[in-house]
Amino acid sequence: MTLNRTEAASFKTIDSETSSASAVLSRGLWSDVWKRFKRNPIALAGFYVVCFLVFIAVFADFIANDKPYYLEYRGKTYFPIIRSYMVDVELGRWPAELLNVDFKKLEGAKAVFPPIPYRATGINLLEPLEPPSMRHWFGTDKLGRDVMAGMVHGSRISLSIGFVAVGIAVIIGVILGAIAGYFGSWADLVISRLFEIMLSIPTFFLLITVAALLPPSIFLTMAIIGMTSWVGIARFTRNEFLRIRNQDYVTSAIALGVSDRNVMFRHILPNALAPVIVSVVLGIAGAILVESSLSFLGIGVPAQLVTWGSILREASGATFAWWLAVFPGFAIFITVLAYYLVGEGLREVLDPRLRGLR
Amino acid sequence: MTAYLLQRLLLIIPTFIGITLIAFLVMRLAPGDPAELRAAGGLGAAAGAGISVEKRGAVDEAMAQWRSQYGLDQPLHVQYAVWLKNLATLSFGESFKDNQPVWNKIAERLPITLTLNAWSIIVVYLVAIPLGIYSATHPHTFGDRVTTLAAFVLFAVPLVWAATMALVFLCGGDFYYLFPPGGLESINFSDHWPLWQKIKDHAWHLFLPVVLLSYDGFAGLSRYMRSSMLEVLGQDYVQVARAKGLQEKTVILKHVLRNSLIPQVTILASILPGLIGGSIIIETIFSIPGLGQLGYESVLARDYPTVLALLTVTAVLTLIGILISDILLSIVDPRIAFGRRLQ
Amino acid sequence: MAPRFLLWMLVLLVLAGCGDNSEVKFPEMVGAAKDFGAPVTGDWLVLHTLSDPEQLNPLTSSDAGSSEVLAYVFEALLTRDPRTLAFKPLIAEARPEISQDKLTYTFKIRKDAKFQDGRPITGEDVLFSVKAIKCPFVNAPFLRVYYDSLVDAHLVDPYTIRFSIKEPYFLNESVLGAIAVLPRHYYDPDNLLAQVSVRDLTQDPAKLPDAVKQFGEQFNRNYSRDPLGSGPYQFNFWKTGREVELVRDPDYWGNGKEGIDQPYLDRLKFRVINNFDAALIRLKSGSLDYMEVLQPVQHVRGTNSQRFKQDFRKYEYYAPTYTYIGWNNDHPIFRDKRVRQAMTHLTPRKQIVESVLFGLGEVVDSHIYLFRPEYDKTLKTYPFDPQKAVALLRDAGWRDTDGDGVLDKVIDGETTPLRFEIKINSGNAVRKSVALVLLDELHKHGIAASVRELDWTIFLNDVKNHQFDAVVLGWQMSTTEPDAYQVWHSSQAANKGSNAISYKNDRVDEILEQYRREFDEEKRIQLYKQFQQILHEEQPYTFLYVSKRVSAVHRRFQNVEVFPDGLRPIDWWVPASRQKYGSTLTSR
Repeated sequence: MTLNRTEAASFKTIDSETSSASAVLSRGLWSDVWKRFKRNPIALAGFYVVCFLVFIAVFADFIANDKPYYLEYRGKTYFPIIRSYMVDVELGRWPAELLNVDFKKLEGAKAVFPPIPYRATGINLLEPLEPPSMRHWFGTDKLGRDVMAGMVHGSRISLSIGFVAVGIAVIIGVILGAIAGYFGSWADLVISRLFEIMLSIPTFFLLITVAALLPPSIFLTMAIIGMTSWVGIARFTRNEFLRIRNQDYVTSAIALGVSDRNVMFRHILPNALAPVIVSVVLGIAGAILVESSLSFLGIGVPAQLVTWGSILREASGATFAWWLAVFPGFAIFITVLAYYLVGEGLREVLDPRLRGLR
Repeated sequence: MTAYLLQRLLLIIPTFIGITLIAFLVMRLAPGDPAELRAAGGLGAAAGAGISVEKRGAVDEAMAQWRSQYGLDQPLHVQYAVWLKNLATLSFGESFKDNQPVWNKIAERLPITLTLNAWSIIVVYLVAIPLGIYSATHPHTFGDRVTTLAAFVLFAVPLVWAATMALVFLCGGDFYYLFPPGGLESINFSDHWPLWQKIKDHAWHLFLPVVLLSYDGFAGLSRYMRSSMLEVLGQDYVQVARAKGLQEKTVILKHVLRNSLIPQVTILASILPGLIGGSIIIETIFSIPGLGQLGYESVLARDYPTVLALLTVTAVLTLIGILISDILLSIVDPRIAFGRRLQ
Repeated sequence: MAPRFLLWMLVLLVLAGCGDNSEVKFPEMVGAAKDFGAPVTGDWLVLHTLSDPEQLNPLTSSDAGSSEVLAYVFEALLTRDPRTLAFKPLIAEARPEISQDKLTYTFKIRKDAKFQDGRPITGEDVLFSVKAIKCPFVNAPFLRVYYDSLVDAHLVDPYTIRFSIKEPYFLNESVLGAIAVLPRHYYDPDNLLAQVSVRDLTQDPAKLPDAVKQFGEQFNRNYSRDPLGSGPYQFNFWKTGREVELVRDPDYWGNGKEGIDQPYLDRLKFRVINNFDAALIRLKSGSLDYMEVLQPVQHVRGTNSQRFKQDFRKYEYYAPTYTYIGWNNDHPIFRDKRVRQAMTHLTPRKQIVESVLFGLGEVVDSHIYLFRPEYDKTLKTYPFDPQKAVALLRDAGWRDTDGDGVLDKVIDGETTPLRFEIKINSGNAVRKSVALVLLDELHKHGIAASVRELDWTIFLNDVKNHQFDAVVLGWQMSTTEPDAYQVWHSSQAANKGSNAISYKNDRVDEILEQYRREFDEEKRIQLYKQFQQILHEEQPYTFLYVSKRVSAVHRRFQNVEVFPDGLRPIDWWVPASRQKYGSTLTSR
């Protein structure tokens, strides 16, 4: 039907009203969610662990580094850690006397070091495979690298792999699931076949194949994990879309002539997100587990990087060095557990809630 | 009903083609030339002296001959078509590594991996279902929370870690010797042994691998069982049954259990793809000659025919599994069968 | 509910726990060196092998797994004395008669040698073995290439064979002597190769009769699993991926004959375990008797307990392989020999051997095996000296002009940082450690190097096509007379040859060519000493270290000795009182 401009404008207002209505619904929903979530002590504990890990990952350079925070040398003061950031982005340079120097061995210098005064990749052939001690709280690996520093910096890799891989999975999964659930009929048919294909392929095997055949790179690993784990999210999204599509506010939006894209992403999607959120959280846990398996098999991790999985791999070759197995293994375990608890807590809170809304 | 079956069967075909296409493309497009690998004497030749240049001409010719023998010099779509055609006659070609028919290699190892996985599926169900039932019938009690937490904890333990630790601490070596450090049978295993002794020996060897393969399934399945049972418990007809004065136990056994067990069938379909994946790590660490180990080695050796065959075989098995579970579900749960037609 | 599953778990546990906890009891190990008298037969040796053989065809298999096994099943015309490495006749009666022009070799064959099925070995079998190698349809192109120079062979009489060679090369005797003698009646029952001569086989394959093609296909396809030779051990079975078993041939033709290795052990079981840690665990628990290779960490920490020493003896010896860093001599950074020398000064080679190899190795400075007479002992090793390295780099024009911590130089008008990539292949933890240690040291001195780990086939491809700045690789050295032509001659740089770093030196080329034609050992040694001195100055590689190997053998085995080529299980035997598996030769 044809509309003149004023009519179109008024429809637009209605459109934004319905969408803001659902937005209000959403905002109210989430603060409610948080209140209920807090009542579950175990899930809350998991949440705090996750926050702690994120904090460590973000501030890794300030927690474990062989450069000091603060240095007084030859009458001048420096902030080496910050300066190294600046040099990396080419906004600064090292003064000649500090070029490639070992900060711990500077004569006549006063320095304040981070709590773990080592770099993750700092090789020290004089102290290989040392058990935990006052010098190295978690011991060292076969090249003398401090294990605690390795774990702190490794958390960055583990968490970023989790986020990015799941991010990719969410994008693919939500889009495909939305299309399948919204349009139904042959779009659903084709996309459901795609689900079946992805589900039937042995993903881990495929992962190994691809990761082993291509040059190792963190980005590639993230991408592959993401591209093989979107099916769960897609299915949930599809089911939600199928369910919500028949609700009144959606049918009325469609009748009012709101474009398909807007209906899908501004009306339905915010309400379909609940199971997706849960999948995201669980997916991060899964991605971290997969990454540790790949690292363990020696695939996908570039040689210079130290990740939790790569330290674990060393443990299998030096079984007496229990600290190489216990700490990273435990870290992976705690991280995955924390995410899982948060995910489950969220599911418990969101599920019955959604039912209530029906 | 038959119309539905037919429709499902027909839909398998595009799925199958999709799977094989993806598998094929992945293998072919990855860099690395199997001919060159053979020239270098396989993976072990990290330090060999190589071929001198004067003889290079002869070697290149030999490699070209070898490539054409295996059809590797044809354009991609031709190679794919040829492979599909062979598939129709159930011939997966010959392995690049040792010229053995690929199907033989797979058939040799298939029973082992199937046994391993069958047992682990059984163990998962045996443990998780009762756990789920217990959780559902005593919700939010201490016991429920503990079993839930225990299940999650198990899910979070990385398989590579658990397997390595088990191998080191329980299988001889420097600590305890409760289980054999891998393999399928003892060194003096003899075909003359009585059946029960053979079974005992195999069970002893498979115990750890099966347990390790199953422990992460406990969490998922028990949670699923718990939630489906809770859903059923909340239904009206259960209240009615209780109101009728039936004992709680009968209520559960006769009505609730059957209805909540039904969805568990669908989980089977999603466990199946893990057939090769989960096995890879276990089979490698415990030196078990199954499909997972074969898959890993074939990937490293660029043994295209074997990798493709493995991907296809697993995919087909999984598809069959999905189909069976779908059919079972629609037979058993009339709502779904009718519901589909309404959509 | 809960009790129900507990019950099931209990059942499973009981079933599993009923397994045998110790497979076979150890006989008591008391006392040290005791004289057990004369060697006796009996008992089994369970060896660890890292990978399953790809196939057991004597010609078409090229992997380490199969050669390990086939060495016991097949024999060649000549062999080497394990200690002196001098030629010893085996299937041949004596070393060959060589013509004045070095182009004809005549071997006389023993009349008392037999195959494992009892049939005697005749010249016909040797001729057949040669034809099989030369047959272009047999899937062994890389073996065939070594016999390129062999243009004809024919029987002078039923027990004498004469070879005709294209050009003189002092190693021809070795190459011809290494031909494995295959039974014609087994590998070519229809005598398909009878109609062609060796000379025919060197011609255009298209002109060969169909029977030859048929033979090739048959040989490739049907003989991968049941080898039959003349050696002391017969093939018994092969459980793919798990175990290969060889059984001693009680009717071995060499039994009791002088100069022939006598076998004592009844069975050789090669157990396939592709994981070193799992293998060590099995060694300790008694399911393995012999691990040829212990990882350095296992040697230093995992095998020194009282109990281990009671049951096993360890042997430490040099393995003839060396590891090196290859600099791409065509790369603008590495064209200058001062830069290469600086790199060698920056590599803490001794420290690497101490820490990464746990002392199981020795720094080397040459391509030649340490124990060969050709090895130049006067070479002065390059010390780890970062100061000298920085000075050399400065001479070569490298200094940090922009204060970013990385040295740079103006090349072709552009300021280029000293940045390059070291490639290594994945799956080798030791090489990875070496690369990382080097990296760390380089970073400390303003060199922005990086490491890239690649899958073996991709890596190999890059190396052969010269797509690299630097690589960490190794070569196998020969314990017998070396020939460095393939690796160092400039002609070998093109066309994917072994001179992957594109090394070119005219004097070295001359030396290498002259060496091959020199039949006088003293003169060869002198030539190679000059060759090593030139390489030492130019540092086209940074030679790293030669490896040492540690093997563990169960104490009950007697006569275990270290030879230049390693250990020789064929010599071992177990006294009757200590035999673990008994001495029946019955098959399963």
